[in-house]
Amino acid sequence: MAGSSGISLSTLRQHNFWDAVMRHATRTAALTVLLVLGGVIYTLVVGSLPALNQLGLGFFSSQRWNPVEENLGGLTAIYGTLITALIALVIAVPISLGIAIFITELCPRWLRRPIGIAIELLAGIPSIIYGIWGLFVFAPVFRDWFQIPVNNAVDGIPILSTVFGGQINGYGILTAGIILSIMILPYITSITRDVFETVPAVLKESAYGLGSTTWEVVRKVVLPYSGAGVIGGIMLGLGRALGETMAVTFVVGNSHRLTGSLFSPGTTISASIANEFAEAENVMHESALTLLGLTLFVITFIVLAAARLMLLRLEQRKGN
Amino acid sequence: MNTSSSSLPGAVHTQKPYLEVRPDSSASKLPMTEKISVRNVNFFYGDYKALKDISLPIYDKKVTALIGPSGCGKSTLLRIFNRMYDLYPKQRAEGEIVFEGKNLLDPKQDLNLLRARIGMVFQKPTPFPMSIYDNIAFGIRLYEKVPKSELDDRVETALKRGALWDEVKDKLGQSGLGLSGGQQQRLCIARSIAVRPEVLLLDEPTSALDPIATAKVEELIYQLKSDYTICIVTHNMQQAARVADFTAFMYLGELIEFGETSQVFTKPTQTRTEDYITGRFG
Repeated sequence: MAGSSGISLSTLRQHNFWDAVMRHATRTAALTVLLVLGGVIYTLVVGSLPALNQLGLGFFSSQRWNPVEENLGGLTAIYGTLITALIALVIAVPISLGIAIFITELCPRWLRRPIGIAIELLAGIPSIIYGIWGLFVFAPVFRDWFQIPVNNAVDGIPILSTVFGGQINGYGILTAGIILSIMILPYITSITRDVFETVPAVLKESAYGLGSTTWEVVRKVVLPYSGAGVIGGIMLGLGRALGETMAVTFVVGNSHRLTGSLFSPGTTISASIANEFAEAENVMHESALTLLGLTLFVITFIVLAAARLMLLRLEQRKGN
Repeated sequence: MNTSSSSLPGAVHTQKPYLEVRPDSSASKLPMTEKISVRNVNFFYGDYKALKDISLPIYDKKVTALIGPSGCGKSTLLRIFNRMYDLYPKQRAEGEIVFEGKNLLDPKQDLNLLRARIGMVFQKPTPFPMSIYDNIAFGIRLYEKVPKSELDDRVETALKRGALWDEVKDKLGQSGLGLSGGQQQRLCIARSIAVRPEVLLLDEPTSALDPIATAKVEELIYQLKSDYTICIVTHNMQQAARVADFTAFMYLGELIEFGETSQVFTKPTQTRTEDYITGRFG
């Protein structure tokens, strides 16, 4: 660009100009994120103030949900959100880790690609499809082959008959948890697979070189080495499970009644908002739903913060 | 590659390499047994033949060095001894490697047991992401249920044998990743020794280390050969001359010459060996 004898002043000025443009453009892009985040928080807080003023902190401990009488409590939805996400994790984490370990350590090469592609496809299915499938295909099968037999089996046993009792119609808290577990499985799997692949081959060879079996190599070398990444993947899955709306709305049953039963219909924060926001009875109803949204925001934030903290502790323990 | 190799003096000779230790040599006066006998071994990466009809003895409680230019197959040969290639599909070995009366290439060979008896140390230090103590105890715990006090003793002994004890005895609970490169490599050697193997395979163990750390590892190798059979791959010919009792020179997947180190370096029988050790190629 510059002449062979030296760099001309105009070229230099041109460079500086584009450098400044680039600097400002990237800074603006970065600041936009903060602006959007701030805007979301502001809107949520302002929107939920009426409900918070009238209902107070009792909102979080009350399970009444009567929009007409403006007597609203969020406990059922918060409980539903947490319990469905927990069920999803309990099911999805072991399976995801198993798949990731199989793909990276044991899988014959020809099978590696098909499994990888299947997982990516699973992640690409829109959540409404999961919802329809869950409602029309999975729920009836689940009712006939799991809920009814289990309900009969635990009949009369004190605690279990409550947990596996209630209205048996195929959808409910457990169904939502299972659908969620299928939905978050590809995320956890693909992240853990990626972090497992970052374990240096020579480190694994050293462990094999001492006479370890594959299981010992995975448990004592691969998992500790990639622990932070695995937790990150699980947290990402948890975040998704907490916020998932469409599929859950289809199968959770949408009942604002808190029961100890996993088979009974319930609701989650996002399902309540999706169902009711457009047809809110009054301002208080709308505000209560916004307050639920704020609560979900805070829960998700806490999950992310906890993940960060765990990763930090893990790094320190490793002595890095 | 063909033209360069055929232009080398002596490259046209295809006679069998010199395999026997000369009867008048000083080393042969001691009673020597072959710990590992390599017989007509061929090795393939897919369709590529990386080792061609290798035959070679590895003598008990001696240091054998494998030297040769990059890609000559010396690391490949080393990785056959503990069947490390088995981890990867499309790699296979043919021929016979006799270790304690059995062919270790036999598909029925128990790999975990084999690898516990033939330890390996790699080019780069590979401490596990755990404490120094646990790094050493790792291999012991795999095979033996020993009480804590005995485990402590075994760890201490291994670290002493690895010439690392004095440097780490006050920080056994700290991460192995916090040690310097040279210390990490001695930790890896100590970790291999802790399992009480009979053979130690060292794959360019000092290529990532500075000269002082290298000297310490070489000193360690010298001390270890009283108890272990050692096979070392090295790019550094001075290192081979310093630490090895026997030296094998490999070139393009063939074993060109094997003999006592002093003979190979001072009176090589093959012109290609001479060309390599005098720096004319490689």
